[in-house]
Amino acid sequence: MSKLAHESAKFHVTGEAVYIDDILVNEQLLHGHVVYSPYAHAKIISYNIEEAENLEGVQCILSYKDIPGENQMGPVIHDELVLASDTVTFIGQAIFLIAAESEEIARNAEKLIKIKYKELKPILSIVDAIKSGVLIQPKRKIENGNLRKAFKKAANIIEGELKTGAQEQWYLETQIALVYPGEGKDLLVHSSTQHPSETQAIISEVLGIPKNEIEVQVRRMGGAFGGKETQANHTAAWASLLAHHTRRPVKIRLFRDDDQKMTGKRHRFLTYYKASFDKKGVISGLDLEQHTDAGAATDLTMAILERAMMHADNAYYIPNIRILGFAWFTNLPSNTAFRGFGGPQGMACIETIIDKIARQLKKDPAEIRRINFYRGEERSETPYGQIVEHNRLDIIDEQLMQSSKYIDRRDKIKQFNEKNEFIKRGIAITPVKFGISFTTSFLNQAGALVHVYKDGTILANHGGTEMGQGLHTKIQQITALEFGVSTERIKVNATSTAKVPNTSATAASAGTDLNGMAIKDAVLKLKNRIAIVVAEEFNKNIPKSKLESDEEDIIFVNDNIYDSENTTRKISFKDAVNLVYLNQVSLSATGFYKTPDIHFDREKGKGHPYFYYSFGMAVTEIELDTLTGFFKNLRTDILHDVGEPLNKRLDIGQIEGGYIQGQGWCTTEECKWDDKGNLLNHSPDTYKIPNIQDIPKDFRVQLLEGFPNSANTIRRSKTVAEPPLMLALSCWLAIKDAISAVGNHEIEPEYSLPATNEVILLSVDKIRKQLD
Amino acid sequence: MKNKNSHIISFVLDGEVVDIDFSGAQSLRPTTTVLNYLRSLPNHKGCKEGCAEGDCGACTVVLAKYEQKKIRYQAVDACLIFLPMLHGKQLITVENVGSSHKLHPVQEAMVDLDGSQCGFCTPGFIMAMFELYKNTSIPTNDQIDDALTGNLCRCTGYRSIIDAAQRAGAKKARDHFSQQKEIKKMLGGIHTNNIQLSNKNQVYHKPCDKQSALKLIQRHPKATIVAGATDIALRVTKNHENIPEIIDIGDIEELKKISSSKSHYKIGAGASLESVKAFSKVRLPALHKMLAVFGSKQIRHLATLGGNLGSASPIGDTTPVLIALKAIIVIEGKNGARKVPMSKFITGYRKSQCKAGELITEIQIPRARNGALIRSYKISKRKDLDIATVSAGFRVCLDKSNIPTDLMLVYGGMAEMTKRAVKTEEFLSGKVWNRKMIEQASNMISADFNPISDARSGARAREVMAKNLLMKFWTETTKA
Repeated sequence: MSKLAHESAKFHVTGEAVYIDDILVNEQLLHGHVVYSPYAHAKIISYNIEEAENLEGVQCILSYKDIPGENQMGPVIHDELVLASDTVTFIGQAIFLIAAESEEIARNAEKLIKIKYKELKPILSIVDAIKSGVLIQPKRKIENGNLRKAFKKAANIIEGELKTGAQEQWYLETQIALVYPGEGKDLLVHSSTQHPSETQAIISEVLGIPKNEIEVQVRRMGGAFGGKETQANHTAAWASLLAHHTRRPVKIRLFRDDDQKMTGKRHRFLTYYKASFDKKGVISGLDLEQHTDAGAATDLTMAILERAMMHADNAYYIPNIRILGFAWFTNLPSNTAFRGFGGPQGMACIETIIDKIARQLKKDPAEIRRINFYRGEERSETPYGQIVEHNRLDIIDEQLMQSSKYIDRRDKIKQFNEKNEFIKRGIAITPVKFGISFTTSFLNQAGALVHVYKDGTILANHGGTEMGQGLHTKIQQITALEFGVSTERIKVNATSTAKVPNTSATAASAGTDLNGMAIKDAVLKLKNRIAIVVAEEFNKNIPKSKLESDEEDIIFVNDNIYDSENTTRKISFKDAVNLVYLNQVSLSATGFYKTPDIHFDREKGKGHPYFYYSFGMAVTEIELDTLTGFFKNLRTDILHDVGEPLNKRLDIGQIEGGYIQGQGWCTTEECKWDDKGNLLNHSPDTYKIPNIQDIPKDFRVQLLEGFPNSANTIRRSKTVAEPPLMLALSCWLAIKDAISAVGNHEIEPEYSLPATNEVILLSVDKIRKQLD
Repeated sequence: MKNKNSHIISFVLDGEVVDIDFSGAQSLRPTTTVLNYLRSLPNHKGCKEGCAEGDCGACTVVLAKYEQKKIRYQAVDACLIFLPMLHGKQLITVENVGSSHKLHPVQEAMVDLDGSQCGFCTPGFIMAMFELYKNTSIPTNDQIDDALTGNLCRCTGYRSIIDAAQRAGAKKARDHFSQQKEIKKMLGGIHTNNIQLSNKNQVYHKPCDKQSALKLIQRHPKATIVAGATDIALRVTKNHENIPEIIDIGDIEELKKISSSKSHYKIGAGASLESVKAFSKVRLPALHKMLAVFGSKQIRHLATLGGNLGSASPIGDTTPVLIALKAIIVIEGKNGARKVPMSKFITGYRKSQCKAGELITEIQIPRARNGALIRSYKISKRKDLDIATVSAGFRVCLDKSNIPTDLMLVYGGMAEMTKRAVKTEEFLSGKVWNRKMIEQASNMISADFNPISDARSGARAREVMAKNLLMKFWTETTKA
C-alpha cells in the first residue's frame, strides 16, 4: 500500500479532474473583476464610477464603502484592507470590484472608472526600508551563550552580508473563487485555498455574517506552495462581496499577470553576519541580523521571520549566538508563505558562512559542515533551547558521501578545472534540518469526520486540503490501514468547513501528521462501536462450553472482522456494517488530534516548538560556462529522512519537486521592480521557473531506510513537503564552487541568491580582473 | 468554386465536422482563441489556461492535418491560435485521447510513473506526449526534452514525466487514432476557398493562395498580417485588444516551401520554424542552433521565419544570425518582388523595410563561401523557452596570416534594434586573430553599445555578456 498512486492521477491525465474554473455554471454567473492601484504609494483624491456603473451588462461596482462588515482581511494582524479607502500602499492593491455579465464588459467598465491620485514616495528596497525605520511589527530576538566572549577568544572572524531574492509561487492554477448565494445570507464558496476555515472566517468578518452561514469547499488546488495559505482569502472575500450584493453566482479568477502583480512572494532577506571559528573551522559564535521585506501588511511575515531565525543554525551547533529579526514595511504586496517559510532564507546564510570558512581555511566545505553538525548530547542545544534528538545527520552524511562518491568526484573536478579555462565544474553537499510543527503552538490541531455507509464504503473527511502533495491519498491509505480494509472502499472528497470546522491551514508540512492522526482517532471510535456489535453477534449462537468473544479481541483484517482468539468467528466488513446499522448504532464519528508537548515563548525566544526534526542532504555537481553564465546540473544525489514512509512514490515526487523548486529560487527565478514599484517579471515570459531541460541529467533520490520516526507520528512516518526545497542550496553552492575555480579558489567570489547568469557573469568578471 | 469567399470555417472535433459561422455567433469572434472556445464547451475543460501567452503549455492541444494522404500531428498552444486557424484540421484534446475508464498508453504511463501531482499542467503534458507518441518511433532523451520544453510543471520536478514519456514511447502499440478513415474523409471534404469572416468590429481574411493574399494586403494596407499568430495573439490574450482587420496567411502552401539551389537556400516566409529547424540542421548549423532554443515545439509549429522578421523585434532571436548569414529578404507588393539584404532590413525599434501593402515572401540565404565561420549565440536567463538577454550572429574568414576578413559581429539585445559592433569590427580589421587582440577588441564593445537594464538583465551584465560572446567566438574559431 505504500506504493499507491495519487488518488486523482487518472483524472489528472484525462482532464477529468475538476478545478474551480471547470465547475459547470449557467448564464446566471457574473464575472468578478478587481480594479487595482497602479501606484505603489498614493492618495486617492477623488474617483468617479458612475459612467462605468451605467455600462450595459455591469451589475455592480463596489468600493470600500459597500463593505457591510469590516474592511479588513489580515489573517493574523488586522492590518490589510479588503478595498483601499483613501490611500493605496502597493501596486496591485484592490480598490473597486466589478460584477458584470462577461469578462469583456467588466474590463470595459474598468476603463470608464476615473480615479485621481496624488503620488507619494514609496519604499521599495530593504535598504530604503531600514533607512525609513518603519517596522511592520516589533523586532524579534533569539539568543544563547555568550557571544562577546566567543568573539574575544576567536582565532578567526568573518563578516559579510547576503541577499536572497523573492520567489513567486507560480502555482499553475491562479487564485480563484466561485461563490453561490443561497437563501437568506447563505453562501457556498468554492475557493482554491489551503485554509478553508480562515477563508470562511475572513468572509464572515468582511460581510458581517456568522460563520454558520458560509460553507467553504475545496476539492483540489492546481498547486499552492504557500501562496494560497492566506492570500486565497482575498479572491474569495472579493467574490463573496459581489455575490452578497448581487445575490447571483460570481467567479473571480485572477489573470496570470494580475496574480503575479497583486499577490505576495517569498520574502526577500538581507542578512548581516559575523561569525567566529577556530583554526579547524569549528564555529564558536554567530551574530546575525536578518532584515526582511514584509510588504504593505503583516500577513504571515512574523511567523516566517520566526522560522528563518529558528533555521539560521540549520544543521549546525552554534554555542554562542544572537539572532535579531527585523520585518520592514515596504510599498509592495504583502509577502507571504512559500514552501520552506523562512527556512531557506535562514539556511542560505549559514551555508554561505560555512562555505567562506572552508575557502579561507583551504578545506573542503564538506569537512567544515561535518565538524559543525549537531552531534551527541554535548552539541545538541539549539539557539531557542530545544534539544536536537534522534539526530540523523551523521548517518545521512556518511551514507550519502559514500553513495555519491563525493571524494572521488571532487578530485576529478579539480583535474577537469585545471584543463579547462572557460568551462568549470563545481560540487557541493548541503544538509537540511527542518523543524516540524506550526511555531504558533495552538495551530497544531486537526479534526476529521468519518462516515461508514451501509454498503460498506467509507467517506473520510478531514481538515486538510489537496494541492497535489497527495494528502488525500495518504489519508485514504491511513483510513484503510486503520480499518483493515482495502483502499477501494475509501473515498476522500472535497474539504469542507461544513464537515470539519475550525481547522488549521494545510501548511507547515503538517498536513498528514495532523489530519492522519485525527482520522485514526475517528476510525478507532468506529472500530470500537463495530467491535461491540460484532462480539455480541459472535456470542449469539455459541454453545455454552465455548468461550465467548470479547470485543477487545475483535480485529479488522483484509475487509473482514475476526475474533483474534478464535479466527473461525468471522464476518465480512460489509455485513458487519449493516449489522451495526440494524443495531441502531452510529456509523459516523469525529476524530481529533493535537500535537503533544510543544510550546514556545516568543518573549524569551525559548521553548520546544517542534514535535520532531526532518533531515536530509544533497550532493549536486554542476558544469558552468563562465562565458555565458549557463550551468548544467550534471548530477544530484539526495538522501532524505521520511521516517517509515507512508507512500514512497508520493514522497519521492515531493523530494524531487521540492528540490527543483528550490533550484529555481537559487538560479533563474528573479523578481525585479522598477523605481516606481512595478514588478518587471510578471509573467512566465520574463519570470523563469525551471523547465524540463534544467533538471539534473542524473537524479538519484533515496529515502533513508531503517529509521522510523522516534516521535509518535502516524505510523511512525515523517513529513516530506517543505524540507527538500532547501536541498537545492547544494546546487547554489556548487555553482559558487565553479565560479571560485576561476580564481583557483583563492578569491572569495561575490555571490547572492538567485545566482542568475547576471550574478554569475559579474562575479566571474570581477575575479578575472583581479587575476589580471 | 475556388474564388468564392466563404463565411464559414470547418474543422473536426469529437469525430464530427464543426462549422462556425461568425456572423451569427453571439460569443465567438474570429479572434476567439481555441483555448477560450474549448473552455466554453462543457466537455473540454481539460484544456487549461496557465498563462495565456504560450509559455506554460497547460493548454496544449494537437492539430491533425491531412497532407499527402497522411495525417500529421502537431502540438500547439491553444491560447495562441485563433479559431479560423483550425479550418480544415482536426482538433484533438485530452478528452479525445482517453478517459479514466480507458486510458491511452501515454496517460497510463503518467499514472504508473507518478507524472502528475496537482494535475493542472498534466493535460498539456499528455497532449505534447501524445504528439511525440504519434510522430516518433522510439524517442531519444533529447527528443523527449524537446517535445516537453513548452510545458511547465511546478510540482514534480519533471523526472517522472520524462520516465513516463520514455515508457510510453518504448512499447508502442496501435491506438484509436491509428484508424482514421472517417477523419480523413471528413478533412478531405472541407472546402479550401478564400475565407472572409466578419463580426461586429472585426474582419478576418484567410486567403488560400499567395495571389489572393497579396491582393488583400494591397486592398487593406492597414490590416494586421498573421501567419502563426504567436506574437499577434498576445495583443488579444494579454492586452485584450480588438484587432479590426486581420489577414491570415498561415495556411498558404506556396509560402511554406523550402528549397536549395546551387547558390542559395530558399525558405518560404510562411515555413514554420520547426520545419526550418529540421532543414537547417546540417545545412545551416548556426541558424539551427538558434532555432533549437527558440520558443518551444508548440510555438515553432506555428511561428514562421517571415513572422519573426516582420515583427522587427529588438531582440528577435533569428535576426543577428540571419545578418551574419547575409540573408536576403524577398518582399512582394504592388510592383512585384524586391530583394533587401538582411543587414538593411531592420530600420528601427519594431520597424522594417516591409511597408504597408507588402508581404515578406521568402528568405534567401547564400551558401557560405569556403572558409566563412559563422556562429550564433544566445544568452537568456533560462536556457530554453526564454527570450534572449543578448544574442549574437558572428561571421569571420581567416586568411593565411590569421587575419580576419569579412568580419561581422552582430548583436541583439544591446540596442533598440539588432546592430553590428562597428567599432569593434574596425579595431579588429587587419589585426591578427589572437587572444590578445580579442581581449583588446572586447573593450571596444562599450564604445559600440549603451545597453539598457530591464527585467532580463542589468546593463553592466549585458556588456560583459557581449564581450564574453566575442571571446567564445574566438575560442570556437581557433584551433587548439
